[in-house]
Amino acid sequence: MKKFKLRIFSIGLIVLLVITTTGLVAGAWFLKDWEDKVTKKFEGRKWDFASKIYSDSYHLYVGVNLPLADFTDKLRRLGYYEAAVPPKTQGAYRVNSANGSVELFLHDFEFPNEKVKGYPVRLWFQGNVLTRIEKLSDNSEKFDLELEPEVVTGLYQRIWQERRVVKLAEVPPLLIKSILAIEDERFFTHMGVDPVGILRAMMVNVRYLSLQQGGSTLTQQLMKNFLLSDERTLSRKFPEAVMALIAERKYSKETILENYLNEIYLGQRGSQGVFGVWEAAQFYYSKPLAELSVGETALLAGLIRAPNRLSPYRNAEAATKRRNVVLAKLLDDSIITKKQYDAAHKEKLPQRALVKVTNEAPYYVDYLRRELDQNYPKDVLEKDGLRIFTGLDLRLQKIAEKALSEGLTKLESSHPALKKKSAEESLEGAIVVIRPQTGEIKAMVGGRNYQKSQFNRVFQAKRQAGSVFKPFVFLAAFMHGGQSGTQYFSDTVVNDSQFTWSYDGGQSWQPHNYNNDYYGAVTVRRALESSLNSATARVAQDVGIRRVRDVARRLGIESSLPAVPSLSLGSAEVTPLEVAVAFSTLANGGVRARSVAVKHVMAQNTKVLEKRDVKLEQVISPNLAYTMNQLLMGVMDRGTGAQARRWGFTRPAAGKTGTTNDYKDTWFVGYTPELLAVVWVGYDGPAKIGLSGAEAALPIWTEFMKAATASMPVTDFVPPAASRNETPEGTPTEKCGPLTREGEPPGEPCPTPAKPAEPA
Amino acid sequence: MQPSKYCKFALVLAVAASCAPQRPYRAPTSPSSAPPSSARVPPSPPAPIAPPAPPIETVRKPMPQEGKIREQDIRAKSPTPAPASRDVKEPRSASEATSAPTAPPLADDSSLLAKITPGVTPQRAASLRVTDEARKLLDAGEPAKAMSRLERTIVIDSTNGYGYFYLAKAQYRLGHYQESLNLLEVAQSRLSGETYWLAEVHALRGENYRALGQTPRAEASYHQSLRLNSGNRTASDGLTRMTAETPAAAK
Repeated sequence: MKKFKLRIFSIGLIVLLVITTTGLVAGAWFLKDWEDKVTKKFEGRKWDFASKIYSDSYHLYVGVNLPLADFTDKLRRLGYYEAAVPPKTQGAYRVNSANGSVELFLHDFEFPNEKVKGYPVRLWFQGNVLTRIEKLSDNSEKFDLELEPEVVTGLYQRIWQERRVVKLAEVPPLLIKSILAIEDERFFTHMGVDPVGILRAMMVNVRYLSLQQGGSTLTQQLMKNFLLSDERTLSRKFPEAVMALIAERKYSKETILENYLNEIYLGQRGSQGVFGVWEAAQFYYSKPLAELSVGETALLAGLIRAPNRLSPYRNAEAATKRRNVVLAKLLDDSIITKKQYDAAHKEKLPQRALVKVTNEAPYYVDYLRRELDQNYPKDVLEKDGLRIFTGLDLRLQKIAEKALSEGLTKLESSHPALKKKSAEESLEGAIVVIRPQTGEIKAMVGGRNYQKSQFNRVFQAKRQAGSVFKPFVFLAAFMHGGQSGTQYFSDTVVNDSQFTWSYDGGQSWQPHNYNNDYYGAVTVRRALESSLNSATARVAQDVGIRRVRDVARRLGIESSLPAVPSLSLGSAEVTPLEVAVAFSTLANGGVRARSVAVKHVMAQNTKVLEKRDVKLEQVISPNLAYTMNQLLMGVMDRGTGAQARRWGFTRPAAGKTGTTNDYKDTWFVGYTPELLAVVWVGYDGPAKIGLSGAEAALPIWTEFMKAATASMPVTDFVPPAASRNETPEGTPTEKCGPLTREGEPPGEPCPTPAKPAEPA
Repeated sequence: MQPSKYCKFALVLAVAASCAPQRPYRAPTSPSSAPPSSARVPPSPPAPIAPPAPPIETVRKPMPQEGKIREQDIRAKSPTPAPASRDVKEPRSASEATSAPTAPPLADDSSLLAKITPGVTPQRAASLRVTDEARKLLDAGEPAKAMSRLERTIVIDSTNGYGYFYLAKAQYRLGHYQESLNLLEVAQSRLSGETYWLAEVHALRGENYRALGQTPRAEASYHQSLRLNSGNRTASDGLTRMTAETPAAAK
């Protein structure tokens, strides 16, 4: 029996030993694992930084047309706030309606290659014109001003953390003391876990019979944020506490505190989370940390407990109460004097409309993301905090979105047959807007609804060009003349009658006019303005289709262009972006500008990684471009685009309608000297729209251009300098006759077609 | 000045300059930086050039009138022309080029701010001011900063040929010679009729060709510049440098 008992005891002892050993080994393993995690976090990469995509900056100059309402709207979008008193801090502005001036304290901003420190200015307006800019610090006159660009969106993984890392020495001592006083007053004495704090928290929790307080130290909070989940459970508390002890053993209090100040979550701006004290100071006060007042400091410290519930933007009363609690604690601890306390108590909370960052240009962002993907790996784009500066104009983008969406809806209501037959078969459209001088893509709407379809029709959809191709035929004719020896001018008479084009050993092609109406002898101008197929094809035949193709290529069409006769009427498939580039070349006096979405890429340390310069090349002569512009102005004034005039778009503009002969694609490309827009409307599938470019795309283009150019000065296409200075007698003065045969009177009378000859 | 004296004087200067250290490309002088009176030297006589002279094409022809558009010049261009095959507007040979009459030195027209007169549009005025600011940045050796501003100048006023010229100059400074040449073509079309500036355009074109190692074209461009403005310092310095470099290269 005794022996049996001894055996039982021995077995028990062994089991106990095994269990203890296993426990110790497991504990050691866990400890090692947690230590590794802590070490890796502290010594490795701590944070991911979302890359930010910026719109174009906003350049103001004396004499610019700028309605005051547009300007203040822009300021609000940039996070400026209206103040009742002259602005003394960055981000504030005051409108003085009595004398038509705006005082503004500019934000700091790091432009590529240039860091600009914010300073106060006064802008004077007369009507819609900016007449004077004064620098208020020394009352000196300035002639231009650049406002920072808007953040369009971020590129990130899972959540967008907006944060700028600062050194402990850059954080004002008062802010550190405030945070410690309210969050962890024994920070510098405990070992990572504060038993007194835990005891206090337990008492509170028992009193309320729920989990009210955690009693966590800053170190524990940091471990939780760095390495653990947000759940408030005891099973999370244990590793949190152990990791805090490990961190305290391995790293100094200063290192832990610095990491905490950069890590802490302090608010939300739309999809952007505001992390770290530097970012919070910017978000709530547009100030660097060093300039925070006592009240502002107390508010930031108080926010840590519940940044959203206590946000001054969401709940001013709760935010004030919490700030005052912090102030009282600071007074109790003799961190501030009674005088400071009283002054801080009277400070007003930041009041401003919260501008949320929502991606308002998803198609544009997708497009530039593709451009960026070629040079930057996904991880770099989403974690390295690049700053990507683009040519996007958010005002134009919004106008384009609205014009397309409303235009398509209107079309469907006026033509019920267009309404969607199935989810995949809804009427679609696209708009791309380019500044011809630089090739900057100012706006891009690749479809009707990004949520439903991310297919970007601006650059991914290749569609038949239709009649928008015709100007290339006539350009080739002006440049090269015909193989018959004919020299082409705007008043050259061509034959608009049925014919058969035989080519490549026995093949033949027969172009047809709209409704099979033929006009016989017509001028080139008339053929283009009324988009006559037969006359255009005859010219192309005479010039040679390869020359037509070469001109299209030279202007910027990159898609495959088979050299077949039907190319003259736009049988080749091209993207709206290509069409935009090609016609931009005309708008820009024959100078082709490479299309640009991304302008600069800047690293987090402000080093410029990439600059995409404006690339220009004179590909056709200014005279020829001017002549074609004049002819295409005729399209707007008398031809297939004339409806735009009746709908109220009256400024000098050139344009061309396009309809494919199967009625699947409708186009309108039109431009002023400063802005070009291409609109495409059709179905993604094989369905026919059954309308012309003038009926489907032109209304959308017109609405867009009316709104987009409303505040721009009216400008006309300027005759090339050679004509102005050297051959004034050769400069066309009569709008309809820019291109006339030498020695003959300048042009024919403006033709007034009885009806559009072709839907074009 | 008699032509013979003129040539002697230029020769002396050319020899003296060839002994001096090379100077960087010189900007058109601004009102703030007073031009030295001695800087306006007449062109040096052409040095003998080794490559055979291609057919001469004298001063760039003005663009045809509206009624005469034939666009012959772009026939030769391919969609992506290589530098060597580009249609050059200058005479190809120095000896032939100098056979053309030389214009006297032109009055300094480099001040952009002086062009802001009461009749100038706000766009042009703003564009000129930004161009002038960028010019100063270029002079201060900051071409990248200047580029951003210069791109703005053509957005504000796309007819501002000076903006295109300085864009070309910034690209030259950044070592983007082909880009610079492209921009000079645009500048030339926008500055037609402004002889002083056309001379600047040709001089900078010469600098680009020289940097690309296309010596005959560089020389021809310099001569073209000097034919328009015999006081163009960049062109005369460029020629002098080339003269100095030729024997060194031969050695």
